[in-house]
Amino acid sequence: MQAGLEAAGFQVVAVSADTADLTRLVRESQADVIVCDLDDPSRDALESMRVLNRDEPRPVVVFASRGEPDQIEAALEAGVAAYVVEGLAPARVRPVLEVAIRRFRAFQALRNELDEARATLAERTLIERAKGVLMQRRRLSEGEAYRLMRRWAMDRSQRLVEVARQLLSEHDAK
Amino acid sequence: MPAPTIERPLRVGYVPLTDAAPLLLADALGLFARHGVPVVLSAEAGWAALRDKLAFGALHAAHLLGPLAIALAAGAGGLRRRLTITTGLARNGNTIVLSPALAAAIGPFAPPLDPRRFAEALHARAEEGLPPPTLAVVFPFSSHNYLLRHWLAAGGLDPDHDVRLVVVPPPRVARALTEGAIEGFCAGEPWGSQAVVTGAGRFVLATGDIWRDHPEKVLAFGESIAERDEEAVLSVTAAVIEAAAWLEDPANRPSAARILQERAFSELPLSTITAALEGRVAAAPGFSPQPIAAPMRFLAASRPRREEAAAWFSAMRRWGHAAAADAEALAPWRPDLWDRAAARFSPRPVTGRASPSPLLQMPLESDA
Repeated sequence: MQAGLEAAGFQVVAVSADTADLTRLVRESQADVIVCDLDDPSRDALESMRVLNRDEPRPVVVFASRGEPDQIEAALEAGVAAYVVEGLAPARVRPVLEVAIRRFRAFQALRNELDEARATLAERTLIERAKGVLMQRRRLSEGEAYRLMRRWAMDRSQRLVEVARQLLSEHDAK
Repeated sequence: MPAPTIERPLRVGYVPLTDAAPLLLADALGLFARHGVPVVLSAEAGWAALRDKLAFGALHAAHLLGPLAIALAAGAGGLRRRLTITTGLARNGNTIVLSPALAAAIGPFAPPLDPRRFAEALHARAEEGLPPPTLAVVFPFSSHNYLLRHWLAAGGLDPDHDVRLVVVPPPRVARALTEGAIEGFCAGEPWGSQAVVTGAGRFVLATGDIWRDHPEKVLAFGESIAERDEEAVLSVTAAVIEAAAWLEDPANRPSAARILQERAFSELPLSTITAALEGRVAAAPGFSPQPIAAPMRFLAASRPRREEAAAWFSAMRRWGHAAAADAEALAPWRPDLWDRAAARFSPRPVTGRASPSPLLQMPLESDA
């Protein structure tokens, strides 16, 4: 496979036989795209990098030994993975990898536009952290800490996230 | 009757786990054949491979994580497919295991561990300037991920900040723990028992301690299979219901364990496989197996329940893994098809009640 990729004009920056520390390897190798077999167990770890949008996600090109053209098309439509069947013919590899990278970037751009969801996630993190601080400081259960923050928010006509932000800034100042 | 439109035999995938038992036993006991539908089972290396084969037609049906079916229905992972879930395969059955060093940092405890004790250990560790521990779950869209997150949050920890969550396929978690790639995991049996038996890890709690009798894997058919060949779907479902009823009889446990070993876990000792069937976690030599308050159940999981799946969707929204309300998200759950498959038995199998979920108790900020 390495020879096939190099014949197609790619540089293979790293080869990993195992899942251990895969995220570090991906990060340090500065790879633009990851190529693996459909049945490779590393795929689950790669999936979590992509889905959870941490650890610098990368496009993943998956090689399958069997499949039907419309299924491969469907995989491409999903915008995140490319499927190549019948092995690695050098003439086919380059366009497939380029399409995969392009589609992945488009998908990431679309994702970035959904910053409403992103902001919600950031706000959620603040609320979780503030709740943790309250639980630790006042020896409360998670539900009690959450209800206390909700009550403060209601009393002060503030959003929950604002209460969380104040709580954390007081906590960090100490 | 129209000729079947799906090629025979039906290809059904699974990941080697104890909760695939209803599928493995239905095959071993000849129940698929008895219900008139030839089936070939296919062991898969992990959930991504299994998901793609189901989504792109290389498998007709599979042993599947409930949250993964929701992710596909809602298009949360980029790929959108509406599967058909006709039966649950198990309740409970996952364990949370920590490395001996991380467990020792908590001080003496008996399972189930209070998450606040775990939080105290992590706070102490952070004060020493150590990085957050790496914990593995088996897939992003998994009951394991959402139950572990719920437990961590109940201790005041932020799962995206105070620990580093990674994904390791179930058959590899014990080795990853031994090698120090992770410091703990939440995975289905028999892999937790294996880690405990080999001394790689310590059992701290079962996921049934977080949500008592939570639904676990389901049997899912690929998109449009149920519309194209309902008879095949009902027959496969009936065979799996019959296998679940067979597994319920304690007298059948020894042969069930032997069949599981032969077909899925040839590298594991029989006692490691038997533990989950007997409601225990296996023990390291010289120690007694730990009982589990909410053990793995099969028939009690059989009828798929949309109200239970709603708890997974709620957790996915809580952690930002799914967008707000999506009418499609829970559409795969089809208790009506289960009822029709179960009607082939007399008396009808008794599967108990739905289990209320603590995952629904935490209100979402977006709902406030």
